[in-house]
Amino acid sequence: MGGFPILSVMTFLPLAGALLVMLVRAATAGSSKGESTAQSKKAVLLAAVIISAATFVASVAAFFAFDRSATGYQLVEQYAWYGPISYKLGVDGLSLSLVMLTTFLTPICLLASWNSIDKRVTEYVIAFLVLETFMIGVFVALDLVLFYIFFEAGLIPMFLIVGIWGGKDRVYAAFKFFLYTLIGSLLMLIAMVYMILAAGSADFEVLEKFAFAPEIQTWLWLAFIASFAVKLPMWPVHTWLPDAHVQAPTAGSVILAGVLLKMGGYGMLRFSLPMFPDASAMFQPFMFALAVIAIVYTSLVAWRQTDMKKLIAYSSVAHMGFVTLGIFAFNEIGVQGAIFQMLSHGLISGALFLIVGVVYDRMHTREIAAYGGLVSRMPIYASFFMLFTMANVGLPGTSGFVGEILTMVGGFQAATWAAAGAALGVIFSAVYMLTLYRRTVFGEITNPELNDIKDMNLVEWICIAPLAALTILFGIAPNLIFNLTDSSTTRILSLMAGGQ
Amino acid sequence: MLPDSLLIYIVLAPGFAALTGVFHKWIGDRVVMAITTGVVLSCGALSLYQLFAYVAGLGGATEAVHHASGYDAYLTAGAEAAAVELKQRVITLMPWIHVGDFQANWAIRVDTLSIVMMAVITGVSGLVHLYSWGYMSEDPHKSRFFAYLSLFTFMMLMLVVADNFIQLFFGWEGVGLASYLLIGFWYTKKAPNDASIKAFVTNRVGDFGLALGIMAVFFMFRSVEFGPVLDAIRTNAVITPYAFAEALPARESVIVFFGERVYALELIGILLFIGAMGKSAQFFLHVWLPDAMEGPTPVSALIHAATMVTAGVYLVCLLSPIYEYTFYASGMVALVGAVTALYAATVGMAQNDIKRVIAYSTCSQLGYMFFAAGVGAYEAAMFHLFTHAFFKALLFLGAGSVIHGMHHEQDMRRMGGLAKFMPLTYAAMMIGTIAIIGLGIPHTKFGFSGFFSKDAILESSYAGVMASVSFAQLAFWFGLVAAFLTSFYSWRLIYMTFHGPAPHEAHGHDAHAHDAHGHDAHAHDDHAHDVHGHGHDHKPHESPLVMLIPLALLSLGAMFAGVYFYDAFVDAKNETFWAGAIYRAAENHVLHDRHNVPEWVLWAPLVVTIAGFLIATFTYSFNRGIGARVAASGGPLHALFSNKWYFDEIYQATLVRGSAFLGNIFWKADKKIIDGIGPDGMAKLASMSSRGLSRMHTGYLYHYAFVIIGAVIVFGAILWLRSGGAG
Repeated sequence: MGGFPILSVMTFLPLAGALLVMLVRAATAGSSKGESTAQSKKAVLLAAVIISAATFVASVAAFFAFDRSATGYQLVEQYAWYGPISYKLGVDGLSLSLVMLTTFLTPICLLASWNSIDKRVTEYVIAFLVLETFMIGVFVALDLVLFYIFFEAGLIPMFLIVGIWGGKDRVYAAFKFFLYTLIGSLLMLIAMVYMILAAGSADFEVLEKFAFAPEIQTWLWLAFIASFAVKLPMWPVHTWLPDAHVQAPTAGSVILAGVLLKMGGYGMLRFSLPMFPDASAMFQPFMFALAVIAIVYTSLVAWRQTDMKKLIAYSSVAHMGFVTLGIFAFNEIGVQGAIFQMLSHGLISGALFLIVGVVYDRMHTREIAAYGGLVSRMPIYASFFMLFTMANVGLPGTSGFVGEILTMVGGFQAATWAAAGAALGVIFSAVYMLTLYRRTVFGEITNPELNDIKDMNLVEWICIAPLAALTILFGIAPNLIFNLTDSSTTRILSLMAGGQ
Repeated sequence: MLPDSLLIYIVLAPGFAALTGVFHKWIGDRVVMAITTGVVLSCGALSLYQLFAYVAGLGGATEAVHHASGYDAYLTAGAEAAAVELKQRVITLMPWIHVGDFQANWAIRVDTLSIVMMAVITGVSGLVHLYSWGYMSEDPHKSRFFAYLSLFTFMMLMLVVADNFIQLFFGWEGVGLASYLLIGFWYTKKAPNDASIKAFVTNRVGDFGLALGIMAVFFMFRSVEFGPVLDAIRTNAVITPYAFAEALPARESVIVFFGERVYALELIGILLFIGAMGKSAQFFLHVWLPDAMEGPTPVSALIHAATMVTAGVYLVCLLSPIYEYTFYASGMVALVGAVTALYAATVGMAQNDIKRVIAYSTCSQLGYMFFAAGVGAYEAAMFHLFTHAFFKALLFLGAGSVIHGMHHEQDMRRMGGLAKFMPLTYAAMMIGTIAIIGLGIPHTKFGFSGFFSKDAILESSYAGVMASVSFAQLAFWFGLVAAFLTSFYSWRLIYMTFHGPAPHEAHGHDAHAHDAHGHDAHAHDDHAHDVHGHGHDHKPHESPLVMLIPLALLSLGAMFAGVYFYDAFVDAKNETFWAGAIYRAAENHVLHDRHNVPEWVLWAPLVVTIAGFLIATFTYSFNRGIGARVAASGGPLHALFSNKWYFDEIYQATLVRGSAFLGNIFWKADKKIIDGIGPDGMAKLASMSSRGLSRMHTGYLYHYAFVIIGAVIVFGAILWLRSGGAG
């Protein structure tokens, strides 16, 4: 295809960085023992932050090389690999926006680990950098096998992050997380093998044009959805998420909620709609029902939680319900809203997990009851927390609103009951978020340990402030994103219409 | 109209002023207070100038036209040949959400409605800012308070100048946020926290309807902008909704909602009105407003009396083209408004907290505005909104002055005889009371502002009765009884507070046990003890000048706003004044026909008002014990009223408990059922025994609940598929 392989560079830069860290570590392992360990830990983290920041710069370069007015995949790199399989990368507006979310959140995650991770720091940053490569790879791969490799391989570093650096019950959580996602992926693998054999190619662009027979589509669709539903997650396969979040370290939660969940929505848009349009149309009411249940059910469950992280995890499931609703509305407004909701949720839920992390690092508890009255000691923290609380309840002017209203408007055109059910979630989200805020931040300080709690430090500022800025920016000027995702949305919908 | 630059200044400057609150650490409280107050006062001056200039520019020549040819021609010719062209200017600031047909901009729409609202909002807000210099002088969080006030002002302005439903929704939820923050301003205390969440959530219930209404609008009209949507209804243009092959005229169009075919305008009207009910505290969704009195009193005056709570009325008037062509939706507006007017007045009679009396009074007056709009007298509704803003802000700020003077005492039973301690506040409260009861002489121009607007509403309602408008009969009679009750509870307030013996001279104010204002160690309550260097002297005192000036200016409004603006809003010049911003269908003549109502209709409000005054005088002035004895005897009616008809208890027992119950069941279902079948179950599968099977037969409630919910969903999905999947 010629030209500079910007996507490959961007994808494998973190992996190369991880190798570098590993080599340096191996070289200095003998020399550094006692007094320099704390310093070397910071040095390793700083190196990782720089590598991931460089990756972000690479993604920005890709953004500028990307022509927003053109349809189809761009910046394509393709090399023959084996038979129907090739190494093929490329982006459209949908994948590029998710890539940028990934590269934006990863440095923040690494930085957020500054004070909270103190064991096996080298292994930790290696796991994170490897994870970043796999996450980017999922979004830029244009070949089924390549996609599957990235999709599955990403499980391993995430599994390790939860299982090694996690909380008390990390092994159970990691096991649950792995089991759920693996079973979903195995079904998807079987379907992929069938598709490659039937179409004679693993190339997305070939598969998009290949019309599978309707009855075949049904089975393929189910197999793919099994995987995406777990990732998103959709009710009733969401129960791994609260446990994984609660046990994961702060940065793990941020990346889990911010990026990994989005792979589910991305998969639906990349595979389910364009490749299995008849099956998608057939299952629309089914998906709407699951979306509405997810929104109402998990919102109510979120309200009853006593653990801050669990509450936000359940809230994530509810917010992903809007994504499902928008995608399966099969119209421009719904799909654009769903993409926007994914990006917005990446920022907001990421920020909320960071917000929880700030007090967790100080108090080492996530119990809501242990807090209360933080506002009198941490006014800046309280302000940021308020902003993201409001963003999470979808207050207009924040990015949370735009995604919710568009998915509902799109959903309304397909099924009024689905939009009405989703709108109920708008009420409940206010209930659980305001209750959480009130119990942790407002009121008198009752726990004497909170008397000396310090407000946000510089590192926390650097992590949270950019998320706050983007949450407001995209809330006021969401067209910045719509302009990017517009042509890919149109393309997905026309592929879908062409298939029916 | 003002030039674009000044209009943009009026709308945006309060928002930027609010941002200075972020920097209060560096620039200090005084600077934040000065900037916010200065900016909002300047906006108020500009907006009021704009309103006065606009009214002055109408000239006096229109009267003849109105009563002769022009007006009647307008009535008979229908909308297509409207004699008055819609005078409107839209300044587009920048695009907001553009996806397909969904086009929403950040914009400033200037027409008569927004000119009136801008004047009300910035005028009252400027005075409230000023007043707060005195009222909040001892509070440690002054910057935050002023920033919130300015934020509110900005959001409210964004609401009223929106040219599309989405920006309106932005302002709508934005004022909800400001209201939430200000109700819970004293955030270390329980009661304000509870009240703020209750307000936000109740409003969200309304917003649920509003959001669905907006979705339905977009579904039918393929636009969220007021211009195209309302024009289509005005001209009955053929519209092509999203899921219809056939095109239909706007007024007859049908939508399939939950599988039912209903008239689109009816559905839209009802859904949007649910939003209005939440924001304007109408029956069923009113429960948050009395609790909102936990906020500082200037907030109650600005947000929970003069401006935010009137947003629902504004919405209905703005969307008059929709309500003009509905039967059920406008009937619902009239019915809910009438019921609220009466309901809130009954509760207001039995409250002892001075702010709660005024809060219920607000609720009741909003009911008047709604039933006016419901019977088709939108101009009268807007007129009452306008005059009410003055006298209700006056009453609240007066009450604030009393509370301030009484060292944060709010219970009227502990007040009395204050007239001699605070004569200026007393005068202001008297003016406010005379204005709210609507004292004036029919057929003349002698009357306080409430007289002109309330009588216009009652007369229009009676004209509606003559024209057989649905629920007009109910509205008129409920409104008349409420007028009687209004007079009674208003005078009761005056007598209990300002007249008679002064119990506060007998014992210190520490004796009271009002739990919401319990004397825990907090700056706000320190205020109550230490202010003004009184030390242990708890004698009531008159408020400082900075609080009295706003009272004086609002008193002018309460006295003269009615007579001055009467012609423009509802009488001779109203066609040219509104200039199409409010729309009336060809067959709606209620505002005009109110001049043809029987003579007794004009005098009835005066009679009931005097009756209310006499009874209040008898029970609370001549025989001060009677009211207390009625309360003590605990008759069922009094119990019903003083407990607000038990709404809070009923909602708590059903909605709140029910949701919590469901939440707990679902949570257990996650653990026991989904995990039990899923990962945990799989782990057990390896060592499955007969014990595993018996787990299926556990008699747990949540198992069954879960199965039932699942069955409902499956059943619903099947039904949906069978109905062809549409709607």
